Amino acid sequence: MSAPLLSVRDLVIEFTTEQGVVRAVDGISFDVFPNETVGLVGESGCGKTVTGLSILGLVPRPPGRIAGGRIEFEGRDLVGLDESELRAIRGRDIAMIFQEPMTALNPVFTVGSQMTDVLRRYKGLSRRQARAAAIELLARVGIPAPDRRVDEYPHQLSGGMRQRVVIAMALSCDPKLIVADEPTTALDVTTQAQVLEQLVRLQEEFRMAMILVTHDLGVIAEACDRAMVMYCGRIVEQAPIEELFARPRHPYSAGLLASIPARVDDERRELPVIPGMVPDLLHLPPGCRFADRCGRRLARCDVEQPGLAPAGESRVACFNPVETPR
Amino acid sequence: MEMLQYSLRKLLAGIPLILGVTLVSFLLMVYFGPDQTYTLLGKNPTPEQIAEVRAQLGYDQPFVTRYAGYLRELATLDFGSSHSTGEPVSALLGRTAPVSLALVAPGFVLGNVLAILLALLAAHHRSRWPDKAIMGLAVVGMSISFLIVIVAFQIVFSSASGLNMFPVRGWGASSLREYLHFVTVPTLAIVFVSLGYNTRFYRSVIVEEMTRDHVRTARAFGTPPARLMLRNVLANCLIPIVTRIVFSIPLIAISGSLIVESYFGIPGIGKATYDAIMVGDQPVLKAVVGLTAVLFVLAQLFVDILYRAVDPRVSLQ
Repeated sequence: MSAPLLSVRDLVIEFTTEQGVVRAVDGISFDVFPNETVGLVGESGCGKTVTGLSILGLVPRPPGRIAGGRIEFEGRDLVGLDESELRAIRGRDIAMIFQEPMTALNPVFTVGSQMTDVLRRYKGLSRRQARAAAIELLARVGIPAPDRRVDEYPHQLSGGMRQRVVIAMALSCDPKLIVADEPTTALDVTTQAQVLEQLVRLQEEFRMAMILVTHDLGVIAEACDRAMVMYCGRIVEQAPIEELFARPRHPYSAGLLASIPARVDDERRELPVIPGMVPDLLHLPPGCRFADRCGRRLARCDVEQPGLAPAGESRVACFNPVETPR
Repeated sequence: MEMLQYSLRKLLAGIPLILGVTLVSFLLMVYFGPDQTYTLLGKNPTPEQIAEVRAQLGYDQPFVTRYAGYLRELATLDFGSSHSTGEPVSALLGRTAPVSLALVAPGFVLGNVLAILLALLAAHHRSRWPDKAIMGLAVVGMSISFLIVIVAFQIVFSSASGLNMFPVRGWGASSLREYLHFVTVPTLAIVFVSLGYNTRFYRSVIVEEMTRDHVRTARAFGTPPARLMLRNVLANCLIPIVTRIVFSIPLIAISGSLIVESYFGIPGIGKATYDAIMVGDQPVLKAVVGLTAVLFVLAQLFVDILYRAVDPRVSLQ
């Protein structure tokens, strides 16, 4: 396999709160290879968004800070770069798509003005060239009448349109990596599917790698090559996508998958839920963080934290992983 | 067209405000203000003389008639002549208003521009030392009384024990040189006093805007800091800034310069108003009070139209 584009090692991100220091991300490691789409799944508060932000050096500071680890992009450690060095990477090498299309664009400038701002900064285009490029990009992300839309303000566009504009902006400088933080969550269901489809197609067209941060396993199944399941600031399972869906090994992943409603299943049985609550990040158990909610808990789980270990094609952090027969 | 209709509607809506303000202040003027009769008559007047003067001043008319007369004067902008000097009120205002404007304008503009720059700087370095230094100085500036600032500046800049570069009192604007000569110290005092309040206000507005999602988006696309602060932060918080600036114009244009004018002996509208209050010179007071109310209505209209210019989401409906 080729060298990874992005390589995160033992990343620790801490937030200072009034109650004390919280570790939102606790020693995670993963690689992203060129042209692949990696999913980062987990429920709210598990640290997936912060992980995405940290890659661009956008963790709000204070209260947050990267307390340890490395984020290597093309062999260069991004942790500890100063603002001006990070600025040279943001938008050009690594672009980001945000969760809230309604508020992610500047309300007082036109869509075109915001797009050309990025294009002119990185590509050195003239005003006219940048405008033409912006219109072309809008067309490529599937915005009808792009030559008219380019002069409109964000509030004149629907949520799906705005998210397409952000996607167009993210693509505008041919980044090598896109971090998409819940890109479809705020959209309505029909738009979700369209935007996601478009994103996957463009990712292939532009030959970029993508980190797709989401809580939606459906999105992961549709768009990703590999997925990482996060729980309480740690990665509990890393697996190729078919493997994860066919043979989830961590009890948490298995629980998540079981709670997806099946379409064909017409018996209207109750959906299984994972019992219990996510532990408070300020009062984490000494052992496995999922132990309290786990049906496969061993005595060892309460005293020792499992690390990621290979299991078949996956890697899983569990002492008693689920075995699914082939 | 839309703009014109909107302006007319706003102006009509301003009429009750003008009526309210003038009614209350005229009531106070008539029933509680100083009476000029005896000032004009001197010692031992006869009842006939008193009646004559009261008739001249219009004091013998019923309140409603006098108030109606006031409104007529306001509508025609003809307030008659000052009771104490006999000078037509329009001439008095025409003489003093430009002086006041020339006196306050540089301090007002500088006080706001500097405050916005300092606020941007403080907000950009939020909770680091430049922010703490600027905000600390702002509190110091706010805590010192205007009177003390004026006196201190006069000692520093205008006295033999200080720099002795500028005059303590007086006014002249026949040349730029003369104008600068007289306006510098008052301007410094005005800037010193307004800077603290303005900076604190603008900083809080700017810091609030900096937490918005679109600012994070701009950062994620590598926007350099100066551009970020101007295009993504300042351009988006112009509404509260514009509101504050425009609404302070009527205040400083009429009454805000009163203290400065009296301390620096400058014949502006503040001084004229002060004198009129002291002797109960009703035509002058009526003009100043009425015009202030009108200015507020105009400022409100102006602010609404400016909103449209600074934020495309605002529509004039």
